[in-house]
Amino acid sequence: MARLRDLLRPALVLAAILLPPGMARAEPAGCSAPPDAMEAAPLPGSVAALSRGALRVMVVGSASTQGGGTSGPAATWPERLEKVLGTRVAPATVQVSVFGGRGTTAADHARIIAEQAPRLRPHLIIWQLGTVEAARGLPPDEMVEAVQDSVAKLRASRGERTDVVLVDPQFSRFFRANADVETYRDRMRLAAAASGAQIFSRWTIMRHWAETERLDLERAPRAGRVAMADELHDCLARALTQFILQGTLRGPASAPRDRPPG
Amino acid sequence: MFTSIHSLVRPGRDLRVDFIRGLALWFIFIDHTPGNLLGQMTLRNVAFCDATEGFVLLAGYAAGIAYGRAMEREGWAHAAARVAGRVGTLYVAHIFLFVVFTAQVGFSAAALDQAAYLDELQLDPFGAEPYRAMLEALLLRYQPAFLDILPLYIVVLAMFALVLPLIGRPGWLLAASLTLYAAARLLDWAPPSWTGSGWFFNPLAWQLLFAIGVVLGRADPQALARRFPWNRWLAALAVLLLLATAVLLNLTWHGPARGWEVPEWLAAWLSDVDKTGLHPVRVASVLIMAWLVAHWLPAGARWLNGPPAAPFVLMGQQGLAVFCAGIFLSFLGRLALELASGGWVQAAVNLAGLAALVAIAVVSAWYGGDGKRRRAPALPASAQGATP
Repeated sequence: MARLRDLLRPALVLAAILLPPGMARAEPAGCSAPPDAMEAAPLPGSVAALSRGALRVMVVGSASTQGGGTSGPAATWPERLEKVLGTRVAPATVQVSVFGGRGTTAADHARIIAEQAPRLRPHLIIWQLGTVEAARGLPPDEMVEAVQDSVAKLRASRGERTDVVLVDPQFSRFFRANADVETYRDRMRLAAAASGAQIFSRWTIMRHWAETERLDLERAPRAGRVAMADELHDCLARALTQFILQGTLRGPASAPRDRPPG
Repeated sequence: MFTSIHSLVRPGRDLRVDFIRGLALWFIFIDHTPGNLLGQMTLRNVAFCDATEGFVLLAGYAAGIAYGRAMEREGWAHAAARVAGRVGTLYVAHIFLFVVFTAQVGFSAAALDQAAYLDELQLDPFGAEPYRAMLEALLLRYQPAFLDILPLYIVVLAMFALVLPLIGRPGWLLAASLTLYAAARLLDWAPPSWTGSGWFFNPLAWQLLFAIGVVLGRADPQALARRFPWNRWLAALAVLLLLATAVLLNLTWHGPARGWEVPEWLAAWLSDVDKTGLHPVRVASVLIMAWLVAHWLPAGARWLNGPPAAPFVLMGQQGLAVFCAGIFLSFLGRLALELASGGWVQAAVNLAGLAALVAIAVVSAWYGGDGKRRRAPALPASAQGATP
């Protein structure tokens, strides 16, 4: 019986993905994030982990992974991701560990990954970077090097068992006006393409939300800002969930032939 | 209106250079207003190089002509003093723009009240240590975003004053420049910065483009045409290379979102093309473009001499004033795009921006900003009437 369940697990995962459980809102999953930004390439490491029943996610990043104006740690996007993704892939479990902190750079993150990955053996690394670099005008070349070295080392040690998704800065008009964000985003995209990592473009998604007036933290009245930040992080977690699920659907191990008969 | 602008154009120069320079200055204004939709249509979206490369190359070209002549006529000390005077002007302009930038950041931070939202933004060095930042800015060791071209220009021009005697020996000048470029790239030579790691544009590398510009500006056009003869096949190859670059870059940036992947080795090569150290591919890219433009746009092209091209030609001739005004205006443009969005703001920012740039060029040419050496044209009748 247990063996049968093991066999069926990938199918259960698939079903969970295809049939989102009771959707509270009458909007598409992922808070109406633009489909372009949700296009993920296959995530073999996550697929394999989900089919075995447990996905270990390592989140590394700067301030937004820790608080980012939300009502508390439980409302940040990494925490919400654990809940939202966990619900969607149940009975498989999702465990998210968060590293980094305010003001940490890509080089700091690379060091953290080098230290923690062998211990944690994550199946998916979500690496949020670029904001500190752009805000301080740090050399983009160093950011690119950190990403490429780090992903190459992960490849060497973990092979296809660990997927890497880069997350770019949060969209903000203030930030756009006062830092050269596009340069860093361009370089980040090249670094991702060069190392085989993927990009989850928080910038594109949040810009879309701001432009369509779906979620616009900068224009939110002061009183409603914390609630809006909570919603923003929740929506980011939902969009990221969609992104990851899409990547796992395209993964080689989730071929439709595993679908149970009937 | 075009005709009156046209009357201010200084004749007797290579108007192509002025025109392209004017265009580069306009692109720099556009690229310095993030969020500007026109920003998706500038050179940086389709080529390895962007307006900065063109600006530095043509700055060298203009400097080669102007200071080369001064060098021949008045000797090194005089010519160098003149370059030093220019460096001083640029330095003051840079500090002025720095003050404007700081005020603008402060203003928009208050206007948008971005408090806890982007925690990281409060890490900007000026906010953390304003007094230190002021000192570091004066030392050019602190350069906020978008204020990195003038420091580059200042240092490169100061270096130019030192090597002026080599101007009669283009081979030596190029060899010295290439050596420094190679050393900067291979040995990681770079001036220090406050934040710890180099300038956004390393002047020790970027001086190469300026030096190439100087040599081109000094060269006899006919000799130049003999040295780099036109070849249709080579030109076709060059165009093909530029097109391939445009496709490749866009595929790598935008492909993954549509499910197209560029091979990793190719992307790895692309991501090695750095701007800070002026990757050789960027030099090649701007030089290939210069070669093509020089051929396709003959010096005597009629439209260049006509009124419609005059605004850009004039902008190019009044380079420094227009450049500084462009950076200043881009601050205002950013504020506008920050506080409002939509088609009309975009149109207003771009129309007003370009109009203001042209106006600055007109005023500067009229009272003789960059063209001091020529007698100022007569004042318009009304203005004359107003002066006692």
